[in-house]
Amino acid sequence: MKLLDHLEEYLIALLMATATIITFIAVVHRYMSGFNIPGVQDFLISLNTSWAQELTIYLFVWMAKFGAAYGVRSGIHVGVDVLVNRLSEANKKRFVVISLGAGALFTGIIGTLGAYFVYGIAQTDQTSPDMEIPMWWVYLAIPLGSYLMSFRFLQVAWIFIRSGELPKHDHAHVEGLEDEVTA
Amino acid sequence: QNPIVIKFSHVVANDTPKGKAAERFKELAEKGTKGRVKVELYPNSTLYKDKEELEALQLGAVQMLAPSLAKFGPLGVKEFEVFDLPYIFQNRDVLHRVTEGPVGAGLLAKLEPKGITGLGFWDNGFKVMSSNVPMRLPSDLKGKKLRIQSSKVLDAQMRALGANPQVMAFSEVYQALQTGVVDGTENPPSNLYTQKMHEVQKHVTVTNHGYLGYAVIVNKKFWDGLPADIRTELNKAMKSATQYANAIAQIENDNALDAVKKSGKTTVYQLTDKERADWVKALMPVQKDMEGRIGKDLIQSVHKEAAALGLK
Amino acid sequence: MSALIIFGLLLLLMLTGMPISIALGLTVLTFLFTMTSVPIESVALKLFTGIEKFEIMAIPFFILAGNFLTHGGVARRMIQFAISMVGHWHGGLALAGVLACALFAAVSGSSPATVVAIGSIILPAMVKQGYPKGFGAGVVTTSGALGILIPPSIVMVMYSVSTNTSVGKLFMAGVIPGLMLAFFLGLTTWFLARKHQYPRMPKASWGERLTAFRKSAWGLSLIVIVMGGIYSGVFTPTEAAAVAAVYAFFIAVFVYKDMSLKKVPKVLIDSAAMSAMLLYIITNAVLFSFLMTSENIPQAMAGWILDSGFGMISFLFVVNILLLLAGNVMEPSSIVLIMAPILFPVAMKLGIDPVHFGIIMVVNMEVGMCHPPVGLNLYVASGITKMGITELTVAVLPWLFTMLGFLLLVTYVPSISTWLPNLIYN
Ligand code: NA
Ligand code: NA
Repeated sequence: MKLLDHLEEYLIALLMATATIITFIAVVHRYMSGFNIPGVQDFLISLNTSWAQELTIYLFVWMAKFGAAYGVRSGIHVGVDVLVNRLSEANKKRFVVISLGAGALFTGIIGTLGAYFVYGIAQTDQTSPDMEIPMWWVYLAIPLGSYLMSFRFLQVAWIFIRSGELPKHDHAHVEGLEDEVTA
Repeated sequence: QNPIVIKFSHVVANDTPKGKAAERFKELAEKGTKGRVKVELYPNSTLYKDKEELEALQLGAVQMLAPSLAKFGPLGVKEFEVFDLPYIFQNRDVLHRVTEGPVGAGLLAKLEPKGITGLGFWDNGFKVMSSNVPMRLPSDLKGKKLRIQSSKVLDAQMRALGANPQVMAFSEVYQALQTGVVDGTENPPSNLYTQKMHEVQKHVTVTNHGYLGYAVIVNKKFWDGLPADIRTELNKAMKSATQYANAIAQIENDNALDAVKKSGKTTVYQLTDKERADWVKALMPVQKDMEGRIGKDLIQSVHKEAAALGLK
Repeated sequence: MSALIIFGLLLLLMLTGMPISIALGLTVLTFLFTMTSVPIESVALKLFTGIEKFEIMAIPFFILAGNFLTHGGVARRMIQFAISMVGHWHGGLALAGVLACALFAAVSGSSPATVVAIGSIILPAMVKQGYPKGFGAGVVTTSGALGILIPPSIVMVMYSVSTNTSVGKLFMAGVIPGLMLAFFLGLTTWFLARKHQYPRMPKASWGERLTAFRKSAWGLSLIVIVMGGIYSGVFTPTEAAAVAAVYAFFIAVFVYKDMSLKKVPKVLIDSAAMSAMLLYIITNAVLFSFLMTSENIPQAMAGWILDSGFGMISFLFVVNILLLLAGNVMEPSSIVLIMAPILFPVAMKLGIDPVHFGIIMVVNMEVGMCHPPVGLNLYVASGITKMGITELTVAVLPWLFTMLGFLLLVTYVPSISTWLPNLIYN
């Protein structure tokens, strides 16, 4: 379980960093190759970065699907809890379990639909336009991400039923900033 | 008895040549089948966007589309990239000999294993170059950043000019041309004009170097399941709509080029024969380079159609 | 009829407290399963293609940049600079808070991020100086909202994605309203501070100001890099966000050295989680608007609004009310993604400028973030100050009314929004 947690975290951090660096390099490359320096310009233009935009999009789509699963575990998905917060503790607990179950159900259904979809695409020769990689590799993010997310919902629900504890994302918390006081 | 519904989705506005042709097809099809078929039009990507419509068609979520020919390469039918090759069609007559003859039929047949039946080709038109520098010779574009659609052929084409091809999302193009993120691009005149790109481009050169067109396609399972007499009527309607589509596309492009000239914002330059020969010379090697991808035989069969018209 | 079922179901699911993204998705699934012939596989397709757009990628980039700036000591130096400039006026530290929020807003695309960055430093300092807690919280909660009005702005990216409006133009259009609102919030602060005789700070000399400026220059220059880079054609707005992220990383780790390399993975993960949450809402909202389109709801609504003879003035008024109401229960991204496709076509038919309409929506979202029951800025401020939401709501009121007045101004004076982009782009 620890291993899965770490894998998830490393994956999304890596995807985020890679996408940022790739886009940055593509921008610098285009900018530099705009200068008319004999030899250098031809060399720069010969470096093909037309795949950068497509790869960035795919990396972020993967990051979004797995990051959403991580978000369940860290309680980052916002909901409308105005009404629920006014209920009695016992009723509130029921609603929390219901909404976690709904999350697991939805992501489970999407995972299954996604799996069928990927299976269908895998039977074809569809490739991405720029990198020309098989499209089903790309679409694999949907079933994998959604199933992981479904699992995370169930995991959170299980922990909640047993201990009454929910992961809560504190939007106001910034490590190391509280102690800084200027005067 | 309920009519058979054909959902026809496309990504452009109703008042474009493609939109008008789709409306004409709807009219003819509904009349020809005496109301046994109802065609529902979904313009402007209201239902499915550019990137997803082909998959939606294969899933059967829509029955009819008219995607640009560049969309079929990623689907696994690289032969369609022949349409992107620079200077592959000397003129419209050659083009229509291909799209309406055996070569075109052979291409459409390649879609069948993908669950797609092709009904015909609709023109948009031949492309012109636009940029903020005057372009008489190919060397004028050396080192310039030129926006292209995702395409290996178009990438090779711009590189053959010594330019730096940039794949860029369509929605970002206008502003990128305006601020100078890219220096220029290629479009048929009607697209250039309707997207107002001439407002942010100082020069247009009528190179007619490449072609932009569409294929009208239907979901194969749906099509094969239609009664034979209905298919005959729909084919008839399509044939007539195609003639209409190609005629208005030509007019639309001519008018657009005039309007660009009249706007005074852009200089439109017509190449002399000698200059055109230079462009052809610079871009012809692309046809050779792409033989491996697209197929030597296919490229030659297009050349044969040109030869049949007495062109070399 | 289907519109009633769809919205009713959505509301019901949302009120159970489940994540908005899940409520949106379940509504679509339920409807598709039971009431239409739309193949259910198209849902999986839409979930992928919904965010398969390069423009949307600006969102994770801007979030990452914002996190590097927050952790990297940029906010702190901006505050020092702001204090040196306005600290000696009535309510000096609070005014510095407004100014620092405006400065930080010019490098960050999110409002809550701005509240966190500036608030977590300046609020403790204000309490220490003798300001009532509520006063500081009021200032920072509302000034932090500038984060989405002063460019760059994540909400503007969302609006541009769902309406195909140029994001570069929107960014430019946000500059003047942003500065104006900062001025009005500052004015409100100044009046209140003078009335209650809140502390002032010693006036900084020009030498001290110059030093403070020099120290914050690395952060401030990001404003020039982002806006200058977009305007001069070095990069597109999306690419600008990536450049900003790399630059912010660089100054946080190598120039200011407030952040060690060891902390970078944590910042990446936090940014990824926040981005993923927003992208997940986007995918499900795209799915939702696909359902609405295939049920012809936006078209029908547009027809209805136009037939009932609404003019531009009354339409905009209704839009404001509608958006403020939505701001009661939802956060900005969902509101923009759900409402823009419905309202935008009508606005276009009435001849409203798309950029102006975008700014109206953004200002509405700003107001919504500052009041309960759902108001992310308020939650963030409550987290920093450990004040209850009710108590905070009262504290925020004076500035909230300022914002509402400003909303009216922006709604009915289009040139505030359109003047600058038209000047620059024509
Ligand atoms: Na901002
Ligand atoms: Na609110």
